[in-house]
Amino acid sequence: MFARRIPGLAGAVALAVALTSCGSSDSDSSAGDASDKSGQKTREFTVGDEKVSIPADPERVVATGYAVPTLIQADAPLVGISSWKRGEPMMDGEEKAAYDKLPKVAGELASETNYEAIAEAEPDLIVLGVPVPVLGDIDMDRLKSIAPVVAVGPMVPSEWREVSRQHADAAGVLDTYEKAEDAYDAKAAELKKKYADALDGLKFGHVGSYGDTSKGTFQREFNGSWGTNAAQDVGADYVGKPKEPGPGSRSVSEYPSLEELSDSLGASDVITYSVNTDGSVPDAVQAVLDSKLWKNLPAVKKQRAFPVAFTEAATYGDAMKTLDAIDKSFAPLLDK
Amino acid sequence: MTAVDRPVERPAGRRSLPQAAPLLGGLVLLAVVAVLSLGVGAHQVSPGEVLRALFDYHAGDDDHVIVRDIRLPRAVLATAVGAALAAAGALIQTLARNPLAEPGVLGVTAGAGFAITVGAGLGLAAGQGGQLLWAIAGSVLAALLVAAVGRTSPLRLVLTGTALTAVLGGLALGLRLMDPETFDTYRFWSVGTLAGREQEPLTLPLTGIALCLVLALTISRGLNALSLGENVARALGVSVARTQALTLVLITVLCGAATAVAGPILFVGLIVPHLVRRLAQGSVPWLLLHSMVLGPVLLLAADSAARVLLPTGEVPVAIVTAFLGGPMLIWTVRKYGAGAL
Repeated sequence: MFARRIPGLAGAVALAVALTSCGSSDSDSSAGDASDKSGQKTREFTVGDEKVSIPADPERVVATGYAVPTLIQADAPLVGISSWKRGEPMMDGEEKAAYDKLPKVAGELASETNYEAIAEAEPDLIVLGVPVPVLGDIDMDRLKSIAPVVAVGPMVPSEWREVSRQHADAAGVLDTYEKAEDAYDAKAAELKKKYADALDGLKFGHVGSYGDTSKGTFQREFNGSWGTNAAQDVGADYVGKPKEPGPGSRSVSEYPSLEELSDSLGASDVITYSVNTDGSVPDAVQAVLDSKLWKNLPAVKKQRAFPVAFTEAATYGDAMKTLDAIDKSFAPLLDK
Repeated sequence: MTAVDRPVERPAGRRSLPQAAPLLGGLVLLAVVAVLSLGVGAHQVSPGEVLRALFDYHAGDDDHVIVRDIRLPRAVLATAVGAALAAAGALIQTLARNPLAEPGVLGVTAGAGFAITVGAGLGLAAGQGGQLLWAIAGSVLAALLVAAVGRTSPLRLVLTGTALTAVLGGLALGLRLMDPETFDTYRFWSVGTLAGREQEPLTLPLTGIALCLVLALTISRGLNALSLGENVARALGVSVARTQALTLVLITVLCGAATAVAGPILFVGLIVPHLVRRLAQGSVPWLLLHSMVLGPVLLLAADSAARVLLPTGEVPVAIVTAFLGGPMLIWTVRKYGAGAL
């Protein structure tokens, strides 16, 4: 959230790099009956090409990055977490209390990892929610000397589903995680059915909030991006692709000049745009809405431009709020 | 006519015709570049449509909106910022009698950057309007401090400005490293660009720039005398302290306002006075006039190039001016020798 509301941030380096230039790691796990030196049962967890021996039932977990909200919501046995400001606005009272209470062993950036604090937490597992390229900012040997390390991060925004599953799996809270997943899938299926006729054949476009309008640009998101992936589960189709696709999130979003607003969104039947969790409009989006070019867009003239909150959700728990927001915003389409 | 005017005006009068021609040429070039800038951008607009947007505007036509509401105010902004930075550069080089001086040497740019950092750290500089105010306040305070400490001599002034720039730069860097939010706010501001800035309320800073440009011309004769040395200037009846103080104020407002609205664009203030120095033939009034015309030409050309250089989007104009400015400075030195400086 933080990363999307305030231009360019989200751990300016770590997360931006994470989502623009790196890939997620495939992982798999297999139960085993081995034990570590302390006698704790272990199992083999595969992350990419690397196999990591982790506790079969972790009791003291340190989480960073995207793993933080997932493991808080799944009631993992956390003993330390990184700062995760972008997710704070989405946390309910209980989650926020847990987040505030847990010792912070790292900042927003991977480079702000506090190794001594992690060691003091005495974890038996460290789950890094950052993609592999960002690991260059981390002294992995030092971390591995403290506890087994599982590092998994998303390549594109919509991969939060797979990545969060891997985090929960490693931390031994897959059961709790899957309950949230099932609830989300049921809600999404219900909404998809509800809006099936209304959304049929419509071309969607999305204006995101991650960007810096001082550069005269806006964020255009396509299928698979932060602002679109939950709406896709409801049946919306954000057609098109970036003119110059890049790695990571650049494959599902772009930053055209404001001059290109009509070129980019002129053919969209419906336009959605990201708003903050309290419904307020981020500066990056407000600059677009204030433009005369925006007011000239066919979808806007037909009053088919809708705000969507909680677009930065990276857990099933948070994404439930996204579905609620989408349901509220798309309601006028039922009258078409 | 005062005693001050005579030695300055006579040579200026003799040169007025040959100098007026290149100035007129510069104005024509400025007009051409300005019109061309209205036709250049991410969205293709035909020349005919550009003219219709200017003289037969329809709010429902996207091409017209782009030309009138985005490119035209941006061209005005580029003209004002280019003139302000170039004039400020000419003033500081004359005042400091240092060819390598540029407006930032007074700590104005560092002051603006430090203020933006502090404002962001306090959570009060999120929007561009807020950043504008913080940048102006920082520029003014830094310049006042430099003027207070270094007012006794040009060398002391430059040294004080350099020292303050280093101190403020270090403090600001420390603050930014402690807070990622502050770092983000600053890094977007710190790369000078005109893109998107045209949508901000610019009436006040642009009015301030226009007034200061006029004032700079009115004191240019005093500066002409001052360029011969303080003793000579006093002998010619110039109030040295008053001229220096007023010049400092003008440099501060010109550079502060330009930096506040567009971010740091350093090379224009350094390079433009050198490019026109031979045309001015030692006359500060002509140096200022030529700078006020060539500065906008350079910035408009750089800004137009910035829009189309890369297929992935705009390049901040400060980067383009740096790429243009470096080779231009080297070319000037090679062609005209150190005397050009």
